[in-house]
Amino acid sequence: MKLNWFSPLSPARTDIAHYTSRVLEALASRAEVTLWTTQTHWDEKLNSYAKVRSYRLAKIPWAELNRGDMAIYHVGNEPKFHRSIWQISQRHPGIVVLHDFCLQPLFAGIYLAEWRDLDAYLTQMEFYYGKIGRQDAQEFYRRAIEGEAALSIDKMAERYPLTMLALENALGVVAHSRQVYERLRPELRCPLVYSGLPFPIQRKKCNARSKRDVPSPSPYRLIVFEYLGKNRRLDSLFESLAGLTEKEKFHLNVFGQVADERSVRRTIQALGLKELVTLHGYVPDAKLDAALEVAHLAINLRFPTMGEASGTQLRIWAHGLPSLVTETGWYETLPGDAVCFVRPFDEIADIQKHLRAFLAHPERFAQMGEMGREILEKNHTPEQYARVITNLAERARSYRPVAAIQAATMRSSIEMSAWLVSNENERDRLELIRKKHSLIYGRTESNNRFLRAILRRAFRISSWRRRLRGAYRER
Amino acid sequence: MRILIATTQVPFVRGGAEGLAEGLQHALRSHGHEAEIVALPFKWYPPKKILDNMLAWRLLDVTEASGVPVDLLIGLKFPAYLIPHPNKVLWILHQHRTAYELWDHPLGDLITWPDGVQVRDAVRQADRQLIPEAKAVFASSANVARRLKKFCDLEATPLYHPPPSAERFYCGPAEDYLFFPSRLTRLKRQSLVIEALTQTEQAVRVKFIGKADEPGYLQELTDLARKHKVSQRIDWLGHVTEDEKLRLYAHALGVIYPPLDEDYGYVTLEGMLASKPCITCEDSGAPLEFVHNEQTGLVTGATPSALAAAMDTLWTKREQACSWGNASRALYDRLNITWSEVIRKLLA
Repeated sequence: MKLNWFSPLSPARTDIAHYTSRVLEALASRAEVTLWTTQTHWDEKLNSYAKVRSYRLAKIPWAELNRGDMAIYHVGNEPKFHRSIWQISQRHPGIVVLHDFCLQPLFAGIYLAEWRDLDAYLTQMEFYYGKIGRQDAQEFYRRAIEGEAALSIDKMAERYPLTMLALENALGVVAHSRQVYERLRPELRCPLVYSGLPFPIQRKKCNARSKRDVPSPSPYRLIVFEYLGKNRRLDSLFESLAGLTEKEKFHLNVFGQVADERSVRRTIQALGLKELVTLHGYVPDAKLDAALEVAHLAINLRFPTMGEASGTQLRIWAHGLPSLVTETGWYETLPGDAVCFVRPFDEIADIQKHLRAFLAHPERFAQMGEMGREILEKNHTPEQYARVITNLAERARSYRPVAAIQAATMRSSIEMSAWLVSNENERDRLELIRKKHSLIYGRTESNNRFLRAILRRAFRISSWRRRLRGAYRER
Repeated sequence: MRILIATTQVPFVRGGAEGLAEGLQHALRSHGHEAEIVALPFKWYPPKKILDNMLAWRLLDVTEASGVPVDLLIGLKFPAYLIPHPNKVLWILHQHRTAYELWDHPLGDLITWPDGVQVRDAVRQADRQLIPEAKAVFASSANVARRLKKFCDLEATPLYHPPPSAERFYCGPAEDYLFFPSRLTRLKRQSLVIEALTQTEQAVRVKFIGKADEPGYLQELTDLARKHKVSQRIDWLGHVTEDEKLRLYAHALGVIYPPLDEDYGYVTLEGMLASKPCITCEDSGAPLEFVHNEQTGLVTGATPSALAAAMDTLWTKREQACSWGNASRALYDRLNITWSEVIRKLLA
């Protein structure tokens, strides 16, 4: 079986790139994999398992793609990594692997920030969510432009996830959480599977334990890592730590890119945590693994969540680390003996309660980490995952003619609806459907290059972009 | 019987398929039946249009006309042969070739579209599902029957038919040219013959007749000839009258016809009717059912040098060429390729 795999590749700073690295060896033992990328650099190790092909949206070698048995598209929320993947998926249907359920940030980012095509964005919103969706989208945009604090991108994502915009042409879908699977099941006609994220385990337990059992009086090492946006709840964590009488018994290490680092540093300073918190910034994987190896407790909060499983959590478990997670989305489905839950609206109290419990019974927490590791070993092997993908590819292949015929049926149905339109509402709806179907997903970099250059310049001289970005971050 | 012949048409393009539909209609009428041709225009790009065309045929109801039943429907071309009818016989000229043997071929266009593979699978699925609705399935040649078996695991009986005006072909004294009568289109590989001319040892001449399917293709061919400095040995005669075509056949030294995987190909049969040997290629498809190497013509590799050698052979061994030509006519007669036979089998 030949698979065309569209994903960010290491060293791109996204866990989806790591995920591809993790599953590739197992996948390559079951299929001939071609990795498609717009990146100019990628980890050389990938070449040992797959052919890496560069592409430009302006010139996709469709014949080469058509020679493959199935395309697999990885969709997450960062337009920089996923815009072109989504664009190709709209023209050359394949399997979509959902790395987030709420994809509003992806599509708002593409339509508003990258393409500046408000009309198309509103059309998509109205198509999926009716007039209300359109109005809210318009309001979201207006306030973003005008710099007003209001409807945040997270609220928009929660209300209007736009998941189906990524799945409307899919021949198969992979969900990494049972919640997402259950939510999508009634809506999808194509094959849908649930599979835990893959995570290979290489280290031995005894090593991890011996390094972790650091004698007192050293402080216990807390760790937070990966890309740290607002939804990673650093502010709540700092506040919890600051309010804890026993705070001197902990040291918090923060690894990864921190959104709005200046403000984070200010908060640390203001709360008097300068000696207890270290911001390490982005570090290579080996260094992060070394830090995880000696950490005692990981904090992996996420609120709001975009709804999908967390590779970060698996990495925590791979090191046999106990962790605090938010009781929401995929996280709330995790077994209570493998993680500690933090309620989203009682964060500070819950974090402090867990930290005190940790001080009282560190061995219980160590057991929790071991339990997490067992879950990982049982349910998240790359081999299992690769089998799920290749089986799904077979099913998706059988579904492909069905999808083509359904699309033809849809075209006929739209045509015939035009004969029946009897009032303004129906006419509007029909126009909307036609407009939605006429949207071009194959916009190319080259076509837009000139326009983008102008816009980039315009962004530099205006505050529009900053404002829009500010609005995205705003909670 | 009231019989409908279902086929497709590409407006302003005329080839063997149109001749066949008309020939069949004429033959049915002369056997005492009422026969009409039903044709819809076919557009194959963008690929989703193929599915729209398929659906259009499936939605037609030709079970009766003005309250009078249509007794038999004969489906010829994709997607016309998908039309439903309780008494349907297929005589398949070819399937949608770019979804099958031309899928991954330089001349196949479907593979170059983003949704090509999806449409290909839908076409194959529909063929597998709907062709068996017919009570009998014939193919225009053994080559077309072989493809149906290979790609869809469906059986079909080869059924040959005579080319238009079969009775008017005659043989005259051979003159100094090889004859290549065909639409100018990439699948027929006129360009291969031009390249072969650069490698012949003899001053072989070739006369081409036929119009180009796509604008600019004739220019492309003449440019190629000019580039290879063989223009002086080529005559581009374009569209000629039927009489002129018969005359060109009659006086040709031989026929050259190297298409790629041809479905049937009147040219071979017309050459046989005019008692001319034919040069064709190992990958030319149906012509190989009639051209037997060094018996009724020459079968060569599909390369300019191999083709050039075969052209030189006909050019220098004229008596041999004449004898192969006579043998080809004898073969045609033995095969009993007549409309009466076609009608007998289709209506059986």
